[in-house]
Amino acid sequence: MLAFAGSLVHAGLGSQGTLNPAGWPQLRRFLAAAAHPATSPEFIRLTLDATLTTLAYAVLGTAVAVGIGVVGGVAISESWWRRPPSGRPRRTGRAGEVGPWLASRLVVSLPRGVHEAVWGLALVTILGLDPLVGVLAIGVPYGAVTAKVYAELLDETPTGAFEALRTAGVGRLRALTYTLAPLAFPDMLSYAFYRFECAIRGAAILGIIGAGGLGFQLALSFQSLRYDEMWTLIYALMAVCGLADWWSTALRRRSALPPRTIAGLGDVGDSEQRLTGATRSALGRDRRLHASAAVVVALVVVSLWHLGVDVSTLWAPRAQRLASEMAASSFPPDLGVEELARLVVLSLQTLEMSVIAAVVASLAGTAMAFVIAGGVEAEQRAGVLQRVGAGAARGLLLVCRAVPPPVGALLLLFVLLPGPLPGALALAVYNAGILGRLMAEVVENLDPAPARALRSQGASAPQAFCYAILPRTLPRFAAFGLYRWEVAIRETVVVGLVGAGGLGRLLAQQLAAFDYRGATATLAALVVLTVAVDMVSSSVRRALR
Amino acid sequence: MIRPDPGGGNRGIRNRSWRQRESDPGTAPVFSLRGAGVRFGATWALEGVDLEVGAGERVALVGPSGAGKTTLLSLLNGSRRPTAGRVAVLGRDLATVRPSELRHLQRRVGTVHQQHHLVGPLRVVHNVNAGRLGEWSLLEAVRSLISPTDVAAAEAALARVGIAEKLYERTDTLSGGQQQRVALARVLVQRPVAILGDEPISSLDPARAEEVMQLLAGLAGDAGRALVVSLHAVEHALRHCNRLVGLRQGRLVFDAAAAEVTPVMVEELYRIDQSTDEHGEGAA
Repeated sequence: MLAFAGSLVHAGLGSQGTLNPAGWPQLRRFLAAAAHPATSPEFIRLTLDATLTTLAYAVLGTAVAVGIGVVGGVAISESWWRRPPSGRPRRTGRAGEVGPWLASRLVVSLPRGVHEAVWGLALVTILGLDPLVGVLAIGVPYGAVTAKVYAELLDETPTGAFEALRTAGVGRLRALTYTLAPLAFPDMLSYAFYRFECAIRGAAILGIIGAGGLGFQLALSFQSLRYDEMWTLIYALMAVCGLADWWSTALRRRSALPPRTIAGLGDVGDSEQRLTGATRSALGRDRRLHASAAVVVALVVVSLWHLGVDVSTLWAPRAQRLASEMAASSFPPDLGVEELARLVVLSLQTLEMSVIAAVVASLAGTAMAFVIAGGVEAEQRAGVLQRVGAGAARGLLLVCRAVPPPVGALLLLFVLLPGPLPGALALAVYNAGILGRLMAEVVENLDPAPARALRSQGASAPQAFCYAILPRTLPRFAAFGLYRWEVAIRETVVVGLVGAGGLGRLLAQQLAAFDYRGATATLAALVVLTVAVDMVSSSVRRALR
Repeated sequence: MIRPDPGGGNRGIRNRSWRQRESDPGTAPVFSLRGAGVRFGATWALEGVDLEVGAGERVALVGPSGAGKTTLLSLLNGSRRPTAGRVAVLGRDLATVRPSELRHLQRRVGTVHQQHHLVGPLRVVHNVNAGRLGEWSLLEAVRSLISPTDVAAAEAALARVGIAEKLYERTDTLSGGQQQRVALARVLVQRPVAILGDEPISSLDPARAEEVMQLLAGLAGDAGRALVVSLHAVEHALRHCNRLVGLRQGRLVFDAAAAEVTPVMVEELYRIDQSTDEHGEGAA
């Protein structure tokens, strides 16, 4: 597996590894501008307005996603389709139950395979420049993922109580509300907040392709090379991302919300800590949850008002006409020999980009996570240097995940020649920002006792790290990296849109030329690739467990 | 308070003064505590403890939950500093030694914990070899993770505790009792002068508890090591140790040879009164 990744990295570097030294001064100027962002009153006002727009898309997108997730999650959970236990052995009746369950799973895996930016582009064609585009572009694909995760959560929940009620003749929706739902609720809430964090970053990316908000302003300022303005916007994005991260972590950690669903990936923390956390804040939890609920409602109302969402657009005859026109002109997909050959080549390039992104991001994220968690084993002995290092690493990670990958790719084009590599590296930086934070959380939640035991028998700090910390974290980090690989393959589209190559670039060209039949073929290739990567990744992840 | 004369074979050591012993590491007791106390916030988990343990002694720490047994053990292996008083290992005051010497002293003291504190995803051989970390350099430690070094020693230690065949298994696939034995093997390869046990048998059934206690006593006896073990069950203490130290509310209540401990002393030690419950809970 590693050799495979390594060879692909090599291929990517070998074909594209040419630097563009002429661009250094530009990049330096951009970096120098970090110290003096634009602070004129009207630009601050513009930034605040843009921030609210991005936030509004994220809030409403998440709301739609959670709505879809709850309904869809129940509909595709195994528990829902299982017949009430009767006298006969369960295995014999499986076929009739598996059929609809499998079909419903397929329905959610399709929207998931396509990045929200592509959804945005498709919806713009149908709905025009309407705020609903941004909301749905986030809500639909996120809703599909959320539904899948919620279904898994419901299925992982012990079903004894549910089946007891079903046997007693209670209808399945009522039985579900009384048994599985309350049990799975903390996990589901926790995941909704994780989605919200992602949605803010997603909304910024959507902005770049025209939805407005911080991403849009960022792209505008970039086009006119106003670096000071760019930094003001980046700082605003960092603030929003940071606040969302803090909110969701605070809820997860301080309340009884378990940290296990951080990426729908299984345990992040130790069960022991979860228990003490639950007892510690049995009182504080409710207040915090209630306050959060109030904030969520307020955010939704403000968002609706700010964006001026009008749901009736969906049923307008114009939208229906455009949708049917688009559907008609999209089929059948362009699948000649020439097109197929091109798709295969570009698919390989996309795959290459995603592997480079995932591998580099995993390595960088791991390094950063250990810098941040440098105080785990040292505890109160953590020195000033360690604390400063940890703070700097946190800040760096925040910048990394606040700069949308298309902007990152364009920045890298200052110093790299155009091609897939800048795109892949931009994705790597962005994902390192996300991975580093997830990984640091894993290290921080680790039970410190084994490391302490080794220290107490005379092992040095680095030795204790190698024997007690690394073996317990690396398998999980590998799982995170693989999960991020699945995400990265979708995200290649986003950097492709700004010309980085791969299927995304082709898709952008086809959409610009109204070549919908070609675009359908490209999208199909993308979905196939995504599904393949998902399958490889999840089977390796299962083996790691 | 009952405070009988400890008696036993170490009366000679006990009568000498602190200064003399510290200057003479050859005959110094393995552990020596003077007025040692540990404070957590406003409460003293341990207060004014004087204790000496010589080579070959098998000492049981008994007392109700929260009496300070675990805290006392953490003083002995140097993982906690006393808030008051002094702790010396092999005659060296842990508060004044250089960090390198502290590590050197810690290497001589092996600890077995109730929760084992093993690293689940590692194979057994690595967890056993972790006992060697004190004598290994970082490079040797990393190399052994890649390809286990000195497998023979690890295997011998596992054979001594009766699970030699588990050498290459993943540690978290082992049962609780087997993991306890891995922890014992880890202590063995450390070749310590003293073995500490923190409630090593409280999660085992009676038959396995008896086995582990026999092992512990045997391992200590092998090389004249000192054994200090905290126990809930006084009958195990009486059967396997030659000296019992009773702790209650962070204070040393008695320190007596096993033969001299009377049922009255035990009853008094575990007596439940209102104040015990209030103070006892937080200090564990």
